[in-house]
Amino acid sequence: MRVGLLPTEGKSTYRFTVLFLATIGILISSLPVVVVTIMSFSASDNTGFPPPELSLRWYWEVIAMFTQEDASSAQSVVDSTVTSLLVAFIVMAISTLVCIPLAYALARGDRRIREGMELLFTLPLVFPLVILGIAFLLIAESLRLEIGIWRIVIPHVALVLPFVLRNCIGAMNGISVETEEAAVSLGASPLRAIWDVVIPLMRAGILAGLIFALIISFNEFTITFFMYTIDVSTLPIWMYSRTVSSLDPSTLALSVFIIVADVVLIVLVDKLIAGRANLF
Amino acid sequence: MSTSDTHLHIDNVSKTFGDVQALKGVDLEIKRGSFVCLLGPSGCGKTTLLRIIAGFENASSGHLMLDGIDISQMPPHKRGFGMVFQSLALFPHMSVAKNIAYGLKLRNISKAEQRNRVEELLNVIELPEIAERPVSALSGGQRQRVAIARALAIQPPLFLLDEPLSALDAKLRDNMQIELRQLQQKFGVTTILVTHDQHEAMMLADELVVLKDGEVYQSADPATVYQKPANSFVADFLGAANLVPAAVSKDGHVTVMGQEIACDTGQPVGTRLSAAMRAEHIGLVPVSMAKDHPVGAVKFLRDLGPATELVISVDGQDLRVRCDNATVPDLSIGAQVALSLDGSRLSVFRA
Amino acid sequence: MSISLSRPRALAFSLPAIIAILPFLGACFYIFRFSISADKGVIDGYSIQAYVDLMTPFFGRSVWLTLKLSFVATIIAMILAVPLAFLLTSLKSPLARRCLTVTILLPLILNLLVQAYGWILLLGPSGVLNSTLKGLGIIERPIFLLFNETGVLLGLIQTSLPLAVFPIVSSVRGLSQEHLEAASSLGASHWRTFVDVTVPLLRPGLVGAASIVFAFNASAFAIPLLLGGRRVQMMGVAIRDMISPLFNWSGAAAAGMILITLTLIVLVFASWLVRVTSEEVRG
Repeated sequence: MRVGLLPTEGKSTYRFTVLFLATIGILISSLPVVVVTIMSFSASDNTGFPPPELSLRWYWEVIAMFTQEDASSAQSVVDSTVTSLLVAFIVMAISTLVCIPLAYALARGDRRIREGMELLFTLPLVFPLVILGIAFLLIAESLRLEIGIWRIVIPHVALVLPFVLRNCIGAMNGISVETEEAAVSLGASPLRAIWDVVIPLMRAGILAGLIFALIISFNEFTITFFMYTIDVSTLPIWMYSRTVSSLDPSTLALSVFIIVADVVLIVLVDKLIAGRANLF
Repeated sequence: MSTSDTHLHIDNVSKTFGDVQALKGVDLEIKRGSFVCLLGPSGCGKTTLLRIIAGFENASSGHLMLDGIDISQMPPHKRGFGMVFQSLALFPHMSVAKNIAYGLKLRNISKAEQRNRVEELLNVIELPEIAERPVSALSGGQRQRVAIARALAIQPPLFLLDEPLSALDAKLRDNMQIELRQLQQKFGVTTILVTHDQHEAMMLADELVVLKDGEVYQSADPATVYQKPANSFVADFLGAANLVPAAVSKDGHVTVMGQEIACDTGQPVGTRLSAAMRAEHIGLVPVSMAKDHPVGAVKFLRDLGPATELVISVDGQDLRVRCDNATVPDLSIGAQVALSLDGSRLSVFRA
Repeated sequence: MSISLSRPRALAFSLPAIIAILPFLGACFYIFRFSISADKGVIDGYSIQAYVDLMTPFFGRSVWLTLKLSFVATIIAMILAVPLAFLLTSLKSPLARRCLTVTILLPLILNLLVQAYGWILLLGPSGVLNSTLKGLGIIERPIFLLFNETGVLLGLIQTSLPLAVFPIVSSVRGLSQEHLEAASSLGASHWRTFVDVTVPLLRPGLVGAASIVFAFNASAFAIPLLLGGRRVQMMGVAIRDMISPLFNWSGAAAAGMILITLTLIVLVFASWLVRVTSEEVRG
């Protein structure tokens, strides 16, 4: 193709410029992660570049942190990891369960209501996280709420709703009313038709939403930074408190574990919605 | 066609996409001012050929010679060929007038001149009042004409159309075909149109190029292609023909379905052939009058108004027959009838 | 239609999600109410004192810095995002497309701490960049890119890039190849086609993406906190400092309201712009 957004044939300054800027974009996106990964294999005690020697010693240290309980630290890495995962799974379950019926109602309902609701549920995406963190903290403090893990779950649910809803609506868009009508004409009640026809067809979108909720909640830092307590704290907060003064290589090794988990999950999402829907 | 010199010479053009060979050594000479239709089933390479002519794809080998000058490497925006796209590709963010004037603007033609030319073209397409309308306010037929006007505004040496009428409904399409043909003759521009619709191709073309699997199967005027198809594919593609086995029985004669017919094939006696017969070239005669004519049973019968369409089964082979209502004998399903074949209207190919 | 969604059922289907988002709406209201509280520590009475107290050169500088950094980061992110979206939509191989998607999306989703570590390792005094430049003999003393505006800017561009790329990708998917070819057939070069056809047709998507990126950057907290230290007081960090060492809750709430208002103005303006431009390009 000689004409296009990115022509594949012929030499031109246009093609060169597009590729050049795209390369810079890729570098800016990926360099931090690449550097963290490289440095996590350093054999040295500090994080100077280049690493004098490569080793897996920091990875062993991370594994040791998880297997040998260190009684001295107030909040152990194991506890925060467990809390992080627990929060992420609860957030995932709640957000998906509330978004599936909403997506159905919006896709089949009035167009104007749909636009308004979509706007409402996009708000958390553009609402400043700091303010949200402070607001939730204010509520929790002034009402003196003793709700344990829920002080993190509730804000996280609000935060992931836009992503989960987008995916569910995207999945609904591909399902024509006719398939449902076909089920009803064969004798299914409207609710039964939703259960038998719509939900199975939405499956990929629902799964993508689930995974999105999981990664966003697991990686969330800002709101949790305001909401955590000594008893309820997540992995990103543990990492922050450990590295607030200086960076040590074992945190980098731990980061690589998180990077790998995130990459795997994103690839899964991308596979699920491959080309059929948009990530946002 | 005032002159008959070659305007565009497509010289042995081939194109491969990965492992797929889309065009295999296409060689065509396109005459100045002629209307050429590239016809073929989907995937035959007709669109690829048009895109190579337009410059959107590079040929893998071969050359394009426009008036004897090699334009193979010239980028599309320097060629100045007007093109009408399948989706029409009118710019939705510009008014009708701006769409038509866009090519002129790129050529640094003065504002006044642009206005005159737009007005002139809108008159030609008989839509003088729509200049300031947004494209979204136009009907399908109006969009069609605006797209044609936009392409012709730059006074292109070549006018290219990629299945431009395929999105229109049948009646509108018939009207547009006539209008398009009239416009082309008015401007006298050398035109190449891609289509998969044989009826459209017959309506429009001075020269019909039938493609299949990236090769030119036949290139001739429509009447010749229809009456004397070069091979069984062309015969079948242009208005379903009946294909039956045949053999050269003696010099200047072939045997088709047991009947010996005068037909010069130039092949030695005994050569196995296949013969193509148009449905309307098969005559029906009562069995009582038949001498050595093939005889079959009526399997299907439908009065279409001006003509009657029949399917007649001869020795297990179904033949389609179309007769004028005046000439069709009184028949019903299951009746026996004899067929009369005309050697001069028979096309024979090597099997 | 045999299946029309009855009003009660539509409501029943929407209710769980509405309950889930209620705490968020409550939080929005709470912040607003606190910002006009007469007392700095609890909600009590009405006063605009908190807003008046914010009229200091310090807070003004913070607003200006926030607007400046967000604006610059948005422009640069958009300049990088458009080519990335073109590349992403032109890639034929599913594997390459998937790799690029992950590479671009990761910064938005990955734990911000990990990314901050990456920038610290890259830009720090003994980091990759300084070591390389020193090794090549270009510099003698490390250049300071961290804990100043440069570091924050890079971090903002990186984390907001995916928010720019993916909306543009969906507009690019709606762009027909034939429009570009039509421009070319009429005589437009690549650049000319880009200016005359591509950009106008993508404009609604571009404006929408830019507004979200700007809102995201203006309200950034973790990136300026981790990469800017105390020195780059973007509004997010300034607001946090009001509550953490100072316990000025109503002040923080008022500053928060100002930040929300700023981002809302940008978003509303952008959505108005999108509506105007998309009416123009509705094809």
